[in-house]
Amino acid sequence: MLRAAAIAERAGVPSVSIVTTPFREQAAVVAKGVGMPALPIAEYPGVPMTDGPETVRAKVERLIDAIVDGLARPVETALTRAVEPAARDVVFRGTLDQVQEFFYARLWTDGLPVIPPTIPRVERFLEFADRSPAEVIGTLSPENRAATVWSIAVNGVMAGCRPEYMPLLIAVVEAIAEPEFRVQDAGSTPGWEPLIIVSGAVAKALDFNRGQGVMRVGRQANTSLGRFLRLYLRNVAGLRIPPGAGDKGSIAATFNVALAEDEDAAAEIGWTTFGQDQGFAKDDGVVTVQSVVSSSPPIYTAGTRALDHVQVLADVFGRACAYWSFTGMKYARWQPLLVIGPSIARVIAADGWTKDDVRAYLHENVTIPAREVERYAWHLGSTAFSLKALAESGALPPEYAGSGDPDRPVRVFPRAAWIGIVVAGDPGRNQSKGYVNNHIQGGRVSKRLALRL
Amino acid sequence: MTTADREPVYEVVWPLAPSAAAPTALASRSPDLAGKTIGELWDYLFKGEEIFPLIRRALAQRYPGVRFVDYETLGSTHGRDEAELAATLPALLRKHGCDAVISAVGA
Repeated sequence: MLRAAAIAERAGVPSVSIVTTPFREQAAVVAKGVGMPALPIAEYPGVPMTDGPETVRAKVERLIDAIVDGLARPVETALTRAVEPAARDVVFRGTLDQVQEFFYARLWTDGLPVIPPTIPRVERFLEFADRSPAEVIGTLSPENRAATVWSIAVNGVMAGCRPEYMPLLIAVVEAIAEPEFRVQDAGSTPGWEPLIIVSGAVAKALDFNRGQGVMRVGRQANTSLGRFLRLYLRNVAGLRIPPGAGDKGSIAATFNVALAEDEDAAAEIGWTTFGQDQGFAKDDGVVTVQSVVSSSPPIYTAGTRALDHVQVLADVFGRACAYWSFTGMKYARWQPLLVIGPSIARVIAADGWTKDDVRAYLHENVTIPAREVERYAWHLGSTAFSLKALAESGALPPEYAGSGDPDRPVRVFPRAAWIGIVVAGDPGRNQSKGYVNNHIQGGRVSKRLALRL
Repeated sequence: MTTADREPVYEVVWPLAPSAAAPTALASRSPDLAGKTIGELWDYLFKGEEIFPLIRRALAQRYPGVRFVDYETLGSTHGRDEAELAATLPALLRKHGCDAVISAVGA
């Protein structure tokens, strides 16, 4: 919203942006990131979604002076850049405890102790990079900082990674720097969290957990890689919860450990790996990053036929996704992820089903009443949401416009191909779990590793 | 000698990265909105369909001849590819003769 105003300003058209009180501090981060810290703002007090029509009217009347002021009063802009440390500048000398306090006070940690990023430690990471430390992988908003190889190494050190993880760290940052990942929206109120998925032989070589407890902290590779990404979003993208700003996740969640597929199990049953599903060769080392906004309960399924399992997966994974499906319908992109336990995948595959068959079943059999989709969208704040309008615009297939009956069922998963499937977890139990993606925010992006092990 | 004196001392570097934000001047303002054309940029969130008509009415009462290019004409700003928006929005504002824009609602 502020970015649109900045585009207008660059085109010579003055702007004012209406920002609600709870978004003021995030707006300041965005304005600074677009190089216009004085971008005019008219503050709507409070939360419009809990205001009735009369309250909205009264508040807008009180906004008019600020709107006029923003559009008509000349604004002086300081065109000087703030002086910041260079990469190799030592910013502090102290004991371990003193380093923790210094970093914590400046909002440079995630609240957990960090490994002190000394130059020798950073250099050990760079030995695994084959890239210039000054190379810029991309720029990360809202704070709009250059994601240098050096800064990746520094945050990798701090997160407790091993130097040999460096190619994965670079690939993760390459993924989140792609426009389709929309890192600038990683501080949105749903509080979505990136999930890294590691594919290829590298997962075994670097001792990623792929089996029981795969999504639990406790294995260094999975845990530190996940922590690195949250730390990097904080320090380079500028996404900080209070007393910082930029991250408006209302309740949010903590970082995800990196997920690695049990590729031996997938190969044994003749299924493609997740990396192959993303278009890579089976032996390629690949990292994929996508958003996760919530998860399903653990899904237990039993039986000797594929249908015994996929019917329950459709019920439980489908219900977990149904509430949030309006976001995928609105933005015409949504990539939920289903992690299927190896013992379940084995039964499904033995019955002749491929991953595509599972996806197709979910697409065809999981529905939600249209009325509920529109109601959930309105409550979030999408006050102009209309399935009919989305279908007419081509964003959704024509079937979503349907008969106009508000109780008509519509598909929860608009496109079967959007559903990701990973085989992982406890081989000794019959459990799966689903992860709900946050539409175009944190869209699934994969990068092949430039790996030197 | 205290415990702290015997502990190793670490020389640490900055965990942030260089800013890519280029300070940019805002557009020049006209002190009077009378007769001006104001574009509405809406992200289709948070009751803009209630808020924009109220703003239109209030500004029209205060500034004779002010006109509006409504949000439906300019299209949603939410979820758009930023490069695509940057490539198309300036021409759209020129096409409709916008002298100023109001962007709403959120951050």
